[in-house]
Order: sequence, then C-alpha cells, then structure tokens
Amino acid sequence: MEYLIYIATLVCIYGILGLSLNLVVGETGLLSIAQAGFYGIGAYATALLLVHTGVNFFVAMALGMVLAGVIALFIGTVLSRFSGDYYALVSLGFNVIVFSVLLNWRSLTQGPLGIPQISQPMIFGFSFSTPILFLCLALILLLLVYLIASFITSSSFGRVLHAIREDEEAIAVFGYRTTYYKLAIFVISAMLAALAGALYASYFTYIEPFSFQVVNSIFILAVIILGGLSSHRGAVLGALVLVIVPEALRFTGLPSDIAAQMQQVFYGLILILLMLYRPQGLLGKFRM
Amino acid sequence: MGGGATTVAIKNSVSGYNLAMEIVVQLLLNALVAGAIYALVALGFNLIYSTARFFDFGYGALAAVGGYATFLFYKLLGLDIFLSLILGVLIAGTIGFLIERVVYRPLRARKSSKTVLLVASIGVLAVVQAIIAILFSSQFQTLALSNQQVIGLLGGSITQTQVITLLAGLIIMIALAITFKYTLFGKAVRAVSDDEEVAQIVGINSEKTIGYVFFIASAIGGLAGIAAGFDTGLQPMMGFSLLLKGVVASIVGGVGNMYGAVLGAVLLALIETIGVWQFSGEWKDAVAFAVLIIFLLFRPQGILSR
Repeated sequence: MEYLIYIATLVCIYGILGLSLNLVVGETGLLSIAQAGFYGIGAYATALLLVHTGVNFFVAMALGMVLAGVIALFIGTVLSRFSGDYYALVSLGFNVIVFSVLLNWRSLTQGPLGIPQISQPMIFGFSFSTPILFLCLALILLLLVYLIASFITSSSFGRVLHAIREDEEAIAVFGYRTTYYKLAIFVISAMLAALAGALYASYFTYIEPFSFQVVNSIFILAVIILGGLSSHRGAVLGALVLVIVPEALRFTGLPSDIAAQMQQVFYGLILILLMLYRPQGLLGKFRM
Repeated sequence: MGGGATTVAIKNSVSGYNLAMEIVVQLLLNALVAGAIYALVALGFNLIYSTARFFDFGYGALAAVGGYATFLFYKLLGLDIFLSLILGVLIAGTIGFLIERVVYRPLRARKSSKTVLLVASIGVLAVVQAIIAILFSSQFQTLALSNQQVIGLLGGSITQTQVITLLAGLIIMIALAITFKYTLFGKAVRAVSDDEEVAQIVGINSEKTIGYVFFIASAIGGLAGIAAGFDTGLQPMMGFSLLLKGVVASIVGGVGNMYGAVLGAVLLALIETIGVWQFSGEWKDAVAFAVLIIFLLFRPQGILSR
C-alpha cells in the first residue's frame, strides 16, 4: 500500500511537469529541453528556504515559483529569438548551465552532497507528514495545475499560442507580437515546473543536483510525447505509464544499476517507436 | 593531460617570463589536442546535418561506441592497438549506418518533420548509451597506455598519443577536403546537401549517398571517441558531452562549412582551456554553452558562413 501511494505521488509530480511542458511544446510548438532546470530551481529554492529560514512550505513554494519565473523571463528573452532545432539546442544549453550551477555553487547548494532534512508541508498547524496526506496534497496541486492549463488553452491567449504553433508568420501578420506570447507561456510553464520541484523536495526531504539534468528534461519530454502533445489528459496519462512501467522492471530481479539502464533503453525505444509509428502519441492532437 | 610534466617544467624554469611562456605553450597544446577531438565530432555532425538536415543527437553515442569497441579489443581481448583502433572505427561506422537504415530512413520516407527526427535521435542516444552502460558498466575506464612517452615541445609537454590524435585529426580533415572537392562521391554529397530533389533529378541516388555519409560521419565520430578515450577516458555518457562540443563548434564556426567547424572547435577548446585554468574543470560544459549562446545572439551565421 505504501508503495502504491509512493507511485501515485510520483505520477502526480510528473503529471504536473508534463502539463507544464505541454504548454510550451504541445500548445505552442516550441521544443524546449529545459524543463528539468526549472524543476530544479523550484526544488532548490524551496529546500533552501525551508532549511535556512523555516518559512511555511507554501510561502517557500510560491517564492521558488517566482524565482523560476524571473529566471525564465531572462532565458525566455534569449530563447524567443530562436525557433526549430536551435530552440531545442539553446534550451538544452540552459539546462546544462542550471545543472552546472546547482552542482558547482557549493557554498549555496552543497554541490553533489545535496540538501537533506527538508521539512514537510504544514498549513494552519496541520501537517502533511503521512504519505497518504501528502498524496492528497499532490493530487490537489495536480488538479489545480490541470485546471490552470485547461483555462490557458481555452482562453483567447491559448488560441494565439495554437496559431503560433501552426503558422507563426501568419499570426504575426495579424498584429500579434508572437515574441511576447512565446515568452509569457515559457514563464508560466517554468513556474508550474518549479511547483512540481517544491513538491518533490518536500516529498523526498532530500535533493541533489543529479535529478535535474538534461536526461530528466528528456524524460519529461517523453512523458508528453507518449501521452500526446497538446492534450492535458495525455500529459497525465504519459506520466502514469512512464512511471509505472519502469517500476515494474524493479521486480524482474535485475541488479539495480542494470535495471536503471534498462529504464533508459525503455524510454529511448518509446521515443523511437512513437516517432516511427505514432508521432502524435496516445491522445495527441498535434503532430510535430 | 601531462600535468606532472608541467609541474616539473614549472619548477625547472628560472625566470617568471619563461614560466608565463611555458604556461601559454602548455595551454595552447592542451587546447589543440582537445580542439582536434572536437573538430572530428564537429566534422561528422556537419556532414550529417548538411545532408540529412536534422540535429542528430544519436550521433554522439557513436563516439562512445568507437571508444568502447576499441576498449573491448585492446584492453579486454588484448589485440594489437592499431587493429583495435581500426575495428573500433569500423564498428562505429557500421552501427551508425545501421541506425540510419532502421530509424532515420523510414522516418524520412514518411516525410517526417525535422523535429520528429530530432526526437527519434534523442531516443537513439538514450538506447545506445544505456546498452553500453549495461555491457561495460558506468565505471570510468581509460584506453591510455601505461608507458606513455612524453615529448617536450617549446617548454610545454605533449604525450605520444596526443601527437597521434593531432596527426589523425589533421589527416582526416585533409582527406575529407580532398574527397569533397575532387571525387564523384564528394560531389554527390555536395549536390544532396544543396538540393536533394534536384540531385535526384540528375541521377544521384540520395538515399544511398546519405547512407554512406552516415557511415563516414559515424566512423569519424568513433575515432573522436577513441581519441577522447586515450586523452581523458571512457564513460558511457561521454558521447553526449562530446556531441554538444561538436555541435557548438560547428555552429560557432558556421554550420555546413568544413573549415569553420575546425576553426570553431579550436576556438572552443581554447576558451574552455583558459576557463578551466582560471576557474575549474567543472564549469567546462557551461562555458561551452555560454559561448554558443553569445555566438547565436551576436553572430548567428558563425565565423565563416557557408
């Protein structure tokens, strides 16, 4: 039972990450490989605030989201000038830089040692300290992010994003400043990823830089590509499948390092096979 | 990379001026060796990018394939070093060729977009790296010879394998330049990269040409991986890092321009070496990307545009 709750919580966290990345990749058609960077910024900001200042979890989470948003504003300003392959490459570069900072700014992040003893969320004297209560919190936040994402895509703002995805030049001719729209959705997406990071940090009570590398960004990308781009339900479904199936590998009795590599083989094969036979994913509306 | 020899050289030097000169020479030598490796990766990447027209992340994994294949034959099976080297290069080329056949060619036949090919190549990278890690473990390995001969040069020092790396890089560059300028195959590759449809109309089998390009580029990538294995060591994830350096070098130098790729590689290696000397080795990857972003913002066409 404990194990099932653990899996469900992981699905919630990756569901939030998938929903957030889908806003950029699926809705706006920009291939961003930087999501784990913002996930890490959220996790570290929350962890450091909780450990050093002892503020409430939700305050720390909000501050972490603001920080990720501000950084995304800078990164996005640079990124908005690119499209296609170059967008993917430069966003990946930012992920590498964020990871380097987390790993090497030892005085702040303790480098590879990571940050232990992160406290659990509390609100009005009520603590989410048991796994089942934490799962409830994660579910509520997942639902909240789902509603935010649905609201964005059904708004006029979301329709402009779709238009950018289909034909950026055409929508620019109608007088829309596409750069601002691309920047806005990038910032929103980064803030939601930071929310997932805050949740991750307080759930595991320990974080280290290696959870926020480019491979993790690729994993999040695999989640939404499998679930289907431009589909909110797809993002959650993708998280469900990609968390559960590799967990099953643990029960095959393989040594843990080989099982971890088998997971990578599995993610990689999923990406290749999807691109070959179903590029729109399981529930997707948009083909890359 | 000849660290011990450098210290000895530094101790022996008398005046401060000599010391400064020696540091400069040593930094330049280190940068040249790293630059030669990056240049090989960049050349291969450039070849694929200009003919098949997508960002092939999977190409990075072929460097690791070459390095580990050589490791298998040379260190584990005890074969002759040059035979192992040639086998490593051929295996990298063959696997690159097969991946193109099985994954990228069907995708191209379906008229998939560049983004679809890019995502598939990320999948290829993940699969190949993980298979290498399963076969050889994620432990750090090295191809380096135990009895390294160190050669003193203008106050700096360079190992025998580093000299061979430099020479190999130079030979490959010249060979590629000659191939593309004078042979029929080279002309076919250039035609396909200019305009695939027109090339087909004049009777060039573009699919076959792209297949050969993947073989050659992957073999060159494999060679770069082997050189890196001698120079810094082998690690299943090494290909990704090497690929990024190659991509950055080829964009900085000017995508599609062979000479630009070499120039970009040496420039990148020089900046990295200075960065490592001034700060520390851990910032290497971040420095490479900072260089890329600055170039893309201020000179997106690279040093030498096509």
